[in-house]
Amino acid sequence: MNKLFDLRFVIGLFFLIIGLLLIGYSFLSDATEYKKEVNLYCGLLFSSFALLMFMLKQKNKDDEV
Amino acid sequence: MKLELIDYLIIGIYFIFVIGIGFLLKRKVKTGNDFLMSNRNIPLWITSLAFISANLGAQEVLGMAANGAKYGLYTAHFYWLGAALAMIFLGVFMMPFYYGSKARSVPEYLKLRFDEKTRTFNALTFAVMTVFSSGVSLYALAMLMEVVLGWNFDLSIWVAATVVFIYIFLGGLTSAVYNEVLQFFLIVLGIAPLVFIGLDKVGGWEGIVQNVDDAKLHVWKGLDSPTNNPMGVDAFSMVFGLGFVLAFGYWCTDFLVVQRAMISKNLSDAQRTPIIAAIPKILMPAIVILPGIIILALQSKFTGFDLPTNPNGDPNYNMVLPILLQKLYPNGILGVGITALIASFMSGMAGNVTAFNTVWTFDIYQSHIKKNGSEKHYYYIGKAATVAGILISIMTAYVARGFNNIMDLLQLVFSFVNAPLFATFFLGMFWKRTTGHGAFWGLLAGTGTAALTHGLTVAEGKGGWIANIHEYYSGTGQAFNIAWISFIACFVVTILISLVTQPKADEELVGLVYSLTPKQKDSSKVWYKNPLWLGVIVLVVTLVFNIIFF
Repeated sequence: MNKLFDLRFVIGLFFLIIGLLLIGYSFLSDATEYKKEVNLYCGLLFSSFALLMFMLKQKNKDDEV
Repeated sequence: MKLELIDYLIIGIYFIFVIGIGFLLKRKVKTGNDFLMSNRNIPLWITSLAFISANLGAQEVLGMAANGAKYGLYTAHFYWLGAALAMIFLGVFMMPFYYGSKARSVPEYLKLRFDEKTRTFNALTFAVMTVFSSGVSLYALAMLMEVVLGWNFDLSIWVAATVVFIYIFLGGLTSAVYNEVLQFFLIVLGIAPLVFIGLDKVGGWEGIVQNVDDAKLHVWKGLDSPTNNPMGVDAFSMVFGLGFVLAFGYWCTDFLVVQRAMISKNLSDAQRTPIIAAIPKILMPAIVILPGIIILALQSKFTGFDLPTNPNGDPNYNMVLPILLQKLYPNGILGVGITALIASFMSGMAGNVTAFNTVWTFDIYQSHIKKNGSEKHYYYIGKAATVAGILISIMTAYVARGFNNIMDLLQLVFSFVNAPLFATFFLGMFWKRTTGHGAFWGLLAGTGTAALTHGLTVAEGKGGWIANIHEYYSGTGQAFNIAWISFIACFVVTILISLVTQPKADEELVGLVYSLTPKQKDSSKVWYKNPLWLGVIVLVVTLVFNIIFF
């Protein structure tokens, strides 16, 4: 519960969900190759940003320890 | 533009998260101080991002893209000339007085420095302006969703207002600020791919240079005369009107943004908040202005990127971003783009409502209606003010729909009130002889002069309702000139009245005036914790941008 109060975790979680949704959609939709690629790369970008947020949260936790 | 299930899913997830943040913070908010001031306990990185996000409303996101298309890179002056310098000045020079005086709001600082009537004048005009702006934001959101997506106007208003209401009512200012940070990242990451795709399609910066009128790709080159640049302004009104008066007036005195710095944990953080915020701020033109320039290149190279026209036949520049979203984003990321737009509207609305409930509770209710209430009492008053603020915003949105002219008039009147404000604060902080009477009458004189200047000048068919003694080349040029003229009027009248009225004793002004406040010895050896060094870095980077795009 405590980590839900950390904004970095909340933001990371949001972008991870959106990123995974976009990646999944890029594989499942019957859109053109270009449209699939846009969603895939954006999904990867959001997921990477989410991981960065999680890492920053973890780093802060380690610093506190 | 047609959304699919994936897009609606993304919008729905966003709503769940923003409301969820309110629920998570609910248990931490118990007193009026928690609800309205976040107990002055918000970390630096959050206050800094919230500081620019509170300004990243619809006007900024849609409006700056529109200005990018209309005026080109000259729009960047709002960032590289105006915002950057003003934010550094706020952090280095003004924040010690706002934060150090323990004032809970900007109007309260005016009470401490001057007197009750100056505070009340500022608090009342600010309170009315914020709920009005919140309503306009709501109206613009509903109109955009109706035009672009075919959504029901009433439904858009009530859904957006309800979501904002829930998260502010539950978590107060902290919830608004936390959501502003999420909204900041969503806006940046939601629009950045659009810029990338657009640039790629036109052939990069080279493609922009080849396909866009050169007059729109400079920031200083055409400022020797209003006829030589698309904005229709000259260098003096740009530098003094926008860069000094308007920008400093907004960034240094508007409680909506200053509040984000005032809830920092300590003075050092409060000082660094606007300066750290200035770093992403000077990069924002890439996200908010560049789309306007990209669409010009796209129009030149391809068909299908034309903007719809207004009833008078002019292009509707506010549609720049929606058209780019429609043409360049496939479903999926389109949902993110639309959510980013919704986030910008909600961010603007929430910022206004939280500033309104604080000023109402501390500067109007506590000051004039119930002075010695308990913390719990002001907590409930703050919550009641939130309900009232949201309801008035909704009402304003409907008025805006029916009577657009009234809204234009109100916006104009508020701009008159804002224009001279920085003169009052500047003299108050740096000239100890300034008196309450001087400040009050100076503000009124500045506001009156702004109205008078508008009544005597004409630009693009507007103004001149008294007589037409001068015609400006553009409405923007008229606004910049009104700003500096009213500043001078306020400045001179404040000095004259102050010289013939009784000033406060020196001991009453310690911590409120520069010359009477002990200078802080900066114990921090680390450069990145020193506001001055951070400010210098921002200045150098800003200067480099100005040179590159001269």
